[in-house]
Amino acid sequence: MVSKQKSKAEKRRKPSPFYCFFWLILISLVMFLAVLIYGLISYGNWGAIMAIIRDPEFHFSLTFTLRTSMIATFFAALAAIPSGYLLARCKKPGMVLIDTLLDIPIVLPPLISGIALLILFGPLLGGYLTKLGLDMVFSPRGVVAAQWFIATPYAIKAIKQAFEAVDSRMENVARTLGFRPAMVFWRVTIPLSKNGLISGMIMAWTRALGEFGATAMLAGITRMKTETLSVAIFLNMSIGELEFAVSTAIVMLVISLAVLIALKVFLRNEVKV
Amino acid sequence: MKPVLFEVQDLSVRAGNFMLSDISFSLEAGQYFIVLGPTGCGKTMLLETLAGLRNPIRGEIFLQGQAITSLPPEARQFGFAYQDSLLYPFLTVKENIFFGARAQKRHQEQEILHRADNLVEVMGIAALLDRYPSSLSGGEKQRVSLARALLTYPPLLLLDEPLASLDPQTHRSMQELLREIHRKEGLGIIHVTHDFNEALQLGTDLLVMNHGKVLQQGKPSDVFLQPSSLDIANFLLGENLLEGTIEWREGRAWFKQDGSDLAIGPLDVGKIPKKEAKKITLLIRAGDLMLSRQNENEHTGHNSWCSVIERIEFNSTHIEVVCAGQGRYRVILSRSEWKRLDLQIGSPVRISVHTDDIHIIQN
Repeated sequence: MVSKQKSKAEKRRKPSPFYCFFWLILISLVMFLAVLIYGLISYGNWGAIMAIIRDPEFHFSLTFTLRTSMIATFFAALAAIPSGYLLARCKKPGMVLIDTLLDIPIVLPPLISGIALLILFGPLLGGYLTKLGLDMVFSPRGVVAAQWFIATPYAIKAIKQAFEAVDSRMENVARTLGFRPAMVFWRVTIPLSKNGLISGMIMAWTRALGEFGATAMLAGITRMKTETLSVAIFLNMSIGELEFAVSTAIVMLVISLAVLIALKVFLRNEVKV
Repeated sequence: MKPVLFEVQDLSVRAGNFMLSDISFSLEAGQYFIVLGPTGCGKTMLLETLAGLRNPIRGEIFLQGQAITSLPPEARQFGFAYQDSLLYPFLTVKENIFFGARAQKRHQEQEILHRADNLVEVMGIAALLDRYPSSLSGGEKQRVSLARALLTYPPLLLLDEPLASLDPQTHRSMQELLREIHRKEGLGIIHVTHDFNEALQLGTDLLVMNHGKVLQQGKPSDVFLQPSSLDIANFLLGENLLEGTIEWREGRAWFKQDGSDLAIGPLDVGKIPKKEAKKITLLIRAGDLMLSRQNENEHTGHNSWCSVIERIEFNSTHIEVVCAGQGRYRVILSRSEWKRLDLQIGSPVRISVHTDDIHIIQN
């Protein structure tokens, strides 16, 4: 009886046009992405993908991309964790300027970032770096530098938000209990912001994984030397090897999706605080 | 006289546009010191400065005669408990309690282990030790927070509105617990709150502040009955604030209420701030007014007047009556008195007050 009354009441309640409109936008977006992914996958064929996986060029570009992007992410974390913490905690007026400056790689087209890096590591610092044996231009090191440059601002943004979400009074209590600032950071701030930090690093890594423009300008597009997956796709598209390009793109898509799903499952399984 | 445990001299702290100015007070060992003030008056900021979490721009802080103003919080090691307990969600209750002891590398000392057992028993949290904070109620969290703050024998316990977010039943039991801890431990406590009932019930000493400044200090009951300004009287919810003028008759001062024929007095001449001042405000606490049926004349005398019951508010512990006539007055009656008088809205009554219970406020 009650359930009947409830269902009648529910029927009487008309959905709000406001929510209908928002749902429409969301569903359209999801459908667009689904069609896009379907199109990409349906264009490739299974045999070609299996052949690509055994291809030495693909093998090189995959391992090279994973290696460089992970090194770039590690250095991005080294830069982003202290920077993000200070940006989150220090509210002095000048911090807005610093925050804006750190956003520049996000708003700058990657090609222009690449040119700027090329000038910095070429004419400006190239001589010193050569003496130190740390050539950046047209070298795998340049790939890491370009990926790091593009990924770091995203890491800073995400990590800053993660630190901002930590109640600073939690840190205060730890200080009064006897912890020095560095210990408070390791024992309280990092555990409390762990999920946000991991999300930030994954975001930076995926950004480094797909980096192309700045990498191409600084490290060049050299087959089997500075050939990341993005570079491999570009190289093969440019010579009409569409099957190689599409198969590589599908593999990249699968890697990205697997990482995102793993991240979401991991964060969902974390102890809710 | 007990030795001074803690002293603050002319402390000023700035945070953006807000400033705490020239705060001074001292605390003897075993005192329960209450800092009372409305929300946003700088109470938490003061407490954080005392703990070393903020740097003052002026002034000195002393602990047992030693200047500690430049010491960081980890060197002061005052117990600190915030309103919302702030337990670490990734640690169990037991790990939370031992967090400070671990910082000080004392978590394996027999004394600390014994102390933890005692605190856990006093706080009634023995069954919660292996649980995570997310599964605790507000009162349980606050008990764990107190145990964590007390474990390493802090020289001073700083409490930032520890009862503010608790339901009435938990509030009451936590208040009892704080009283018991204070009695048993005998340590100095500084407790900030905006609740003057809490201040009256717990405090041995009271400091009232607003807008970053100290307004009045004293024993809680003295401040409650004799607020030094109209602002404080209003904040302490002075129920009957009567504005009027002083009339001098045969060398005695009488209060003449504005807008009515009511005259109250003779007033204590010594308490009149300035002899030449004519305008004055009187505070009469609702509990100090006496009520009788108008035809019974129980409390006749100089300071009694007729009125009519306009509103009746029933509370769990008392009845509050609003009377209109010769001004509006709030009167608090016990349940037994209320039953004896058997009054209703519209009943004519006589209100009276002893001269001793009339307090002059300096405007």
